[in-house]
Amino acid sequence: MIIKSGIAVSPGIAIGPALLFGVRSFRIPQRFVAVDAVDGEVTRLRLAIQTVAKSIEQSQESASRQLGSEYAAIFGAHLMMVQDPKLLGEVETLIRTKCFSPEFACSRVFRNYARSLQNLGNAYMAERAADVLDLEKRVMNALLGESRRDLSNLSHPAVILAHNLTPSETASLDRKNVLGFATEGGGRTSHTAILAGALELPAVVGVGSFLSDVSVDDVVIIDGSNGKVVIDPDEATLAGYRFVLSQQKSESHRLASLNSGAATTLDGVRIQVMGNIEFPQEVQHCIERGADGIGLYRTEFLYIGADHSPSEEEQFNSYRAVVAACNDRPVVIRTLDLGADKIPGGDSIFHTNAENPALGLRSIRLSLRYISLFKTQLRGILRAGCGGRVKIMFPLITSLLELRQAKLILRDVMDDLAEERIAFSRDVQVGMMVEVPAAALQARIFAKEVDFFSIGTNDLIQYALAVDRSDPNVAALYSSADPAILTLLKMTVDAAREQGIPVTICGQMSSDLRFIPLLIGLGVRTLSVTPFAIAEVRDLIRHLSVSQAEEIAEHALTLDLARDVDNYLRGELQRIYPEKQ
Amino acid sequence: MSNAQSRQVTVKGEHGLHLVPCSLIAKTSNVYACEIEIRTGNKLAKAKNIFDLMGLGVGKGAVLTLSATGDDAEVALAALEELFNSGFEPHARPEIAP
Repeated sequence: MIIKSGIAVSPGIAIGPALLFGVRSFRIPQRFVAVDAVDGEVTRLRLAIQTVAKSIEQSQESASRQLGSEYAAIFGAHLMMVQDPKLLGEVETLIRTKCFSPEFACSRVFRNYARSLQNLGNAYMAERAADVLDLEKRVMNALLGESRRDLSNLSHPAVILAHNLTPSETASLDRKNVLGFATEGGGRTSHTAILAGALELPAVVGVGSFLSDVSVDDVVIIDGSNGKVVIDPDEATLAGYRFVLSQQKSESHRLASLNSGAATTLDGVRIQVMGNIEFPQEVQHCIERGADGIGLYRTEFLYIGADHSPSEEEQFNSYRAVVAACNDRPVVIRTLDLGADKIPGGDSIFHTNAENPALGLRSIRLSLRYISLFKTQLRGILRAGCGGRVKIMFPLITSLLELRQAKLILRDVMDDLAEERIAFSRDVQVGMMVEVPAAALQARIFAKEVDFFSIGTNDLIQYALAVDRSDPNVAALYSSADPAILTLLKMTVDAAREQGIPVTICGQMSSDLRFIPLLIGLGVRTLSVTPFAIAEVRDLIRHLSVSQAEEIAEHALTLDLARDVDNYLRGELQRIYPEKQ
Repeated sequence: MSNAQSRQVTVKGEHGLHLVPCSLIAKTSNVYACEIEIRTGNKLAKAKNIFDLMGLGVGKGAVLTLSATGDDAEVALAALEELFNSGFEPHARPEIAP
């Protein structure tokens, strides 16, 4: 038994036979060619490069369709590398002057390039060596005429172990048979790690050298929660992990068995439980767990890592994918919620001096400053709304003027689309995030001018308590249970009720079971939670009555200290939902 | 040539000149006829070559000198400067509050 540690990037446990992937073992059939064959060999090389370029273009297209432009940009760079004139010049020179076979020449040149990246002393660039070796593999496969072995179609369930998985390999993983994966390389921000999280596959990256310790079909355990990889475990370890895995499974089965039907309280009140997502492919996870729709679709990932602001068409495609996957369930699309520094092509002057980005030019403020950027997004959303139930939500609204201005621009965009005879959803509902204390304090005024509220508790707490949760010096001061927060929530929910508009809670607070009785007791009837929590939240709701929740809320509001609120809610949860304990 | 131009830019973005920014610089540079070089410290790269650029191994905050020689040097540099100013974002997943 060997236990290795790496970086935990996607939680859960996977146990299965090892499938060693992409261990470099090309058998180069012949190293040298005859002098009079050189011209023909160069042609063979060029054809192989063309084949690879074409397949990268296809990957680029499918990545842009399925995953968004931020992934497609990587393939754009791969395409440029494989067609690099200097690199190809070196390969051709080796063939012509030294009579190397194209396979041998490519292997030499690509590996030299990879090695020089590894030797730069820059961790990020060293990771890119894997990209160059991926290209080498592709060119080799094209030269050798073998179809590329891929991970999209495995014969049996397996744990994938690799030095590195490239974006193209991760994107094509066979979801049915890949149990989880571990890689020697990679970091927390590698493409593979991000994608593993979205696919909900247990994964550990950055394990360091371990492939030589594994034989094919060895049993391997991947503990994606603790960043461990156990190779050939002994009986006791295996039994221990099997037990945890069976618990995980029975818990998810128990929850899955409850997925059908509505989440209704013991006294018959229907509570909507929706999902918060970032990528179109997460919709499926939400629906499998019984979500009533998407309560928060964050659109930032179209912009982050993109080489340009996403075009209307790119946005439309992503939004459309979500709307289609939701199949008539509502989708709340939040307009851009980022700082100016994150916008490709954004105006750098405004952010470079910002010492306090949370209070700076971000979110709706940015959209109102760069109106053409905003309009492009609104056009994409409105067009995607056709035939679905799309709602638009503006983030970080602080003053009524901002809200009115945003609505005015939305109206303009609708007029433009109508004039251009482009199909769009005209009766789209418009809501706002309540996440600035000023908006909560003025909720009665705002409620008259929107179709719904959505309370973003993370920002609301940060602004109301003046705490940056990511700063360890003050993180302990951040508390969802603070009486001030409860008061702001109550003001917002009461104002919405007076105007007869719905309120959703979409911050992390609503994914925390402790707060759910309180929120329902305050009058919230829609919760939007992280996909992972949907089934459990729905289950809890079925154990709860509204009258009981109202009593809990009423009592919680009388408590003076966050600590007391916390303890009280914890105790009530244990009483209502002992399954969890 | 007579019309050599140069200017300085600062690298933004968490990971410096990583893969995608390098490809964008090369792509932009290849639009123009002029010779473009990027210099930092004692390292020099041809802006039209992605591997050359990656070989600079430039991190966040580095100051680079762009120089171009040729008829369209001025426009080429302006385009590159704009690209640098737009900031190069990593493919990271930042904390985004709902």
